[in-house]
Amino acid sequence: MTSRRAKQAKTGDLAIQTFNLTKTFNGLVAVDGIELNIKRGELFALLGPNGAGKTTTINILCCLLKPSQGTAHIMGYDILKQPFKVKEIIGVAPQETAISEHLNTQENMSLIGRIHGINAKELKSRSQQLLETMGLESRAKDQVRKFSGGMKRRLNIMMALIHNPGVLFLDEPTLGLDPQARRAIWEYITQLKRKKTILLTTHYMDEADFLADRIGIMDEGKIVALGTSQELKARMLEKNTMIVSARNLTQQVIDEMRSRYAEVSVSGETMLITDSRLGFRTIVDRLHSAGATVRSAHIKEPTLEDVFLHLTGKELRE
Amino acid sequence: MRVWELCKRNLKETYRDPLALGFLLGFPLLFMLIFGAIFSGDETPKFAIGVIDKDNTPLSQAFVTEALAKVSALKVTTYEDTAAALKDLTFGDLKAYIIIPSGFGQQVSNNWQGEKADITLEMTYDESDVMVSEQLISIINAVARAFARIEIPLTIDANPIHIETKINYVDFMGPGIIVFGLLILIPTSARPIVRDKEKGFMSRLLTTPTRPTDFILGYSLSMVGITLAQIIIFIVGAWAIGMDIVGNLWLAFLIFFLTGLCSIGVGMVIASLSKSENQAEPMAWLFSMPLATLSGCWFSSDMMPSYIRAIAYAFPYAHSIDASRGILIRGAGLEAVSYDFLFLIGWAVVIFAIGVILFRRNMRS
Repeated sequence: MTSRRAKQAKTGDLAIQTFNLTKTFNGLVAVDGIELNIKRGELFALLGPNGAGKTTTINILCCLLKPSQGTAHIMGYDILKQPFKVKEIIGVAPQETAISEHLNTQENMSLIGRIHGINAKELKSRSQQLLETMGLESRAKDQVRKFSGGMKRRLNIMMALIHNPGVLFLDEPTLGLDPQARRAIWEYITQLKRKKTILLTTHYMDEADFLADRIGIMDEGKIVALGTSQELKARMLEKNTMIVSARNLTQQVIDEMRSRYAEVSVSGETMLITDSRLGFRTIVDRLHSAGATVRSAHIKEPTLEDVFLHLTGKELRE
Repeated sequence: MRVWELCKRNLKETYRDPLALGFLLGFPLLFMLIFGAIFSGDETPKFAIGVIDKDNTPLSQAFVTEALAKVSALKVTTYEDTAAALKDLTFGDLKAYIIIPSGFGQQVSNNWQGEKADITLEMTYDESDVMVSEQLISIINAVARAFARIEIPLTIDANPIHIETKINYVDFMGPGIIVFGLLILIPTSARPIVRDKEKGFMSRLLTTPTRPTDFILGYSLSMVGITLAQIIIFIVGAWAIGMDIVGNLWLAFLIFFLTGLCSIGVGMVIASLSKSENQAEPMAWLFSMPLATLSGCWFSSDMMPSYIRAIAYAFPYAHSIDASRGILIRGAGLEAVSYDFLFLIGWAVVIFAIGVILFRRNMRS
């Protein structure tokens, strides 16, 4: 049995494991006893607002920061005891587009590749493959300071992939990009699914929703919820919201509805009714009986934003 | 391999950044061209000086006729008494007058024979023209030192020192401007480190199997390469605009190289103490520009009060200027500049050690 197989047998199918991972900065708790188990080939998203502790978590897992308590294993290697082993098998695309501005695309990739000890022939073939996949083939020899934000983000990911790492960390990979550029990056990340274990941080709910196999919602250093997008949203089905557009939403109508449902709010001709049980027909009939004229009504599908709001009492800020 | 890759990358970052490169090479070269245009050429300034020989010995007379009178920048007139010289100075006919005191010849003779000597000259000058008086002090100092050290015409000294009778302002300024260029290495060395730190590139490299030693060597070696190129360009530039190179060029090169190492070390310290380029740049310039002035890049530090000289000589640059002027202008050998040479080595070792310690600590945090 090769040492790699032995290691895999030892760690099972887990690529990333954290054990009471904690980080404090001058008494301020940035990461608060996180326990994570991420499977090999899984794309796991840490979703949370700025300052939730996502980047600090990634920085600890990449051996950039030492945890104040606890530890983590990456492919079975302990981040505290074997940091250089960890660094050999991970690829990191930091939040800042950490590229060398006066080098060209090829040179940026080569630098990281050579540091990882990849020979020239292999380096050439891998960079060619990445250039094609990421759509930067025609810009291989261009200095990257002339690149757009989206192109720099793509190169950022290419530099993380050049040495073919088993585990990929993507810290806010689409931060500050326009929707079109974000969508392009999502497509590239989707192509990597199942081939790599990916830990991605984001504060965009749609990004986590679209890309991740599982999502950990993070707030104030803690994982407050964990599961697939559907699992997380299902928690919200306990309480649904109906959005009703109606005329004659008088105080009498509002009082009538408030006496029957948990939460009722009105803005102009729109009424939001939230309760654990919402019968479409019943609500419309009750509104009519109270004197309102209903023009349209629909049940609002829960989003990750709703999940976050529900769990933390806060909105997920951009 | 990693060191070489990092070194190559840092060199590319520098030579492909027109602003950094322009600052690094263009700024001092521009100064050279300006000073060259002003002070070089056939129009060597002619300063009228008076001499009162109170010693009146063959040696003091030889000093006047064989040394002072042969300096092309001087027009020497002898006086019988100080009153007449003072009158001419007051009237603006003289820029300065020198009194050769009684016993001068004896002291010079003692010096030649290796005995303890106290050779002094009294000089009264028109202080209204700082630059002229500065040049005069420098010229008289150089001529007197050259004369006092050489055994002429009786025997040939085993280690003769060249008498440079055509010291012009370019000769005087050349080493100062080169050292100024090397002072600019401080911000230049700090900039890439801080930039990589600020823009997250260093963090990215720290997620690779790169060791701290690889980083330090990678950054340092690229800066050493830039230093060597800079010294060559500046020496050639200074020579092209008319600086006479009298002494051992390799020794001067070594002095400049040690000075460059000191600047790289200071740059590394500043980069380690700064969190951003905005912090590092002012800190680096705040350190290098006053030091350029204090150390005598633009004018001799001999003119400064003793406490300022003490500050200047606590840093390597005044030593570098003294040593390189001695070598390039007066043809001094290693023995003559040994103190400055050892001071530079010591400073380079200490500042590099501090830089490496701080840099490593910085990387860990």
